Amino acid sequence: MKTVIEVNDLVRKFSTRGRPTKTAVGGISFDVGQGEIFGILGPNGAGKTTTIKMLSTLLIPTSGTARVLGYDVTDDRTVMDLRKRINVVSGGDRGLYYRLSAKQNLEFFADLYGIPKREQTEMCQKLLGMVGLMNAADIKVEDFSRGMKQRLHIARALVNDPELLFMDEPTIGLDPEISRSIRSVIRDLSRSGKTIILTTHYMYEAEELCDRMIILSRGNIVGKGTVAEIKDMVSDSSVVHIVTDRDPSEALKGFVSDPDMTVVSSRTVGGRYDTRFASASGKTDVGAHEDLFRPFGIRLIGLDEPTLEDAYIRLTGGDE
Amino acid sequence: MMSARAISAGFKQQAVQFFADPQWIIPSLISPFLLSMVMIFLSSGGTSIEGPLVLQAVLGGGVLGMWANSLFSSSTSVSFDRINGTFEPMLGSGTRIIYVLIGRSLWSTLIGLLNAFIVFAIAEVMFGAGLNVQNPILFFLALLMAMLSLSSVGLLISTLFVLTRKGGTVSSVLEYPIYVMSGALVPISMLPQWMQSVSLALAPTWGVDAIKYSALEGYEGMLGMSFITDVLMCLALSIIFIVSAYVVMLYVERKVLRDGTATRY
Repeated sequence: MKTVIEVNDLVRKFSTRGRPTKTAVGGISFDVGQGEIFGILGPNGAGKTTTIKMLSTLLIPTSGTARVLGYDVTDDRTVMDLRKRINVVSGGDRGLYYRLSAKQNLEFFADLYGIPKREQTEMCQKLLGMVGLMNAADIKVEDFSRGMKQRLHIARALVNDPELLFMDEPTIGLDPEISRSIRSVIRDLSRSGKTIILTTHYMYEAEELCDRMIILSRGNIVGKGTVAEIKDMVSDSSVVHIVTDRDPSEALKGFVSDPDMTVVSSRTVGGRYDTRFASASGKTDVGAHEDLFRPFGIRLIGLDEPTLEDAYIRLTGGDE
Repeated sequence: MMSARAISAGFKQQAVQFFADPQWIIPSLISPFLLSMVMIFLSSGGTSIEGPLVLQAVLGGGVLGMWANSLFSSSTSVSFDRINGTFEPMLGSGTRIIYVLIGRSLWSTLIGLLNAFIVFAIAEVMFGAGLNVQNPILFFLALLMAMLSLSSVGLLISTLFVLTRKGGTVSSVLEYPIYVMSGALVPISMLPQWMQSVSLALAPTWGVDAIKYSALEGYEGMLGMSFITDVLMCLALSIIFIVSAYVVMLYVERKVLRDGTATRY
């Protein structure tokens, strides 16, 4: 597989009035192969967006090197050529001209990429059709819902038919149905041969879409590989899954002061309390926990294989 | 080719935004109208509003209006994209943002000319200003040159708005020096010597003089220069301003990417 992104010891520090204030990315290295969907996972402030901006030439790294499609991202002589071959989808409400229609937005950006006028009409129809906005082509963006804007973001990022697409949390804040349709578009884009770099908070999304991924925590890579490889990184730990009739918060209090134990998830399902916790130091004795949770009415207790979410929580130290 | 496409895109987008957003009426129509009225009343001295002084006031008012429009559009051009979140996609598009800004400035030039004609029409209809322009063809050429020069200054200034989030404040500060130094408000011969040197380095000063030359009977020209000198100086300085804007934009684009401020607003 041809490598399209090579990142070596990439660092980005921010400063205010000349004084360094934050190291957003602290020396990361990875590579991405052509046609891959490559995930960048991590909690808020982990450096995902900063990494994407550096790779898409929208932020100059403090040190280290990054080559994208063979171009050095900091080389002024070739940066324009690189920009014509990549594009970025950002999440959120901003990034579109609200008083322009969907079609006018696409045409404006198509002009900036030098797409010939004669090709624009057909291209707009194709892209709007792909993201399910064909009937909204002439509606102003200010009248769009959040989901429609997000789909238009994707269409906008495809006007130059990029070989490499950076998608920064493309489904954040969207309802499940819209999120599913966007994931379907991402899969279609990947099938059409595009390389996709995807940042996300959602583990199921990463698990469903990504061929490989890195997990960032505080600007550093704490996990790298396929979903299976990432899970293997925490195979030494076991995850206890308990369902109780009553809220087991009292029992979980003891885990807060125990560095070996991490509560992976705690939620209410169908009126019952579904709790998963992991031990970092090896297989857990389920029997020992059974006594602890018995007063809360145990409905189910057992050991689970670590999921991607378990691995993520372990590797990032739960620093959300 | 890409640059021509980007200029055209900037022009078209500004036009669509103009008609879609009613707030553009303020700098494009209301502000020039008010400025011209102030100029006319000041020049009339509270008595008659006729004669060459009034014509001079109307011309000055027209130029003030054109500048107000040009400055508003150049300052809001980049600030708008920052707030809207479209600055970064534009930056990443593989075309120089300066071309988009040039396209937008061209639209402002067109609207600026329209402003000037509206001011002249109002002065004529409402105040019977008696606008007997000496040579209408040269007058139109001079008007075009003045607008080009104002847009070129606006373009240079707009590149600086990439660096700051306080576009509105900076724009207000920059509005008045051009009024005074271009000779639109008072003849530059009335300014201190040091200020006259600055005035002569500004393209609009020559454009304003060309307007007066073509419109006012018996006007002898700033520093005794001919009409053609005015036009050529205006054109040359405008080109210098546009080239400077291009160079400054390359620098500020790089700075924004280095500082990571492209998305701040």
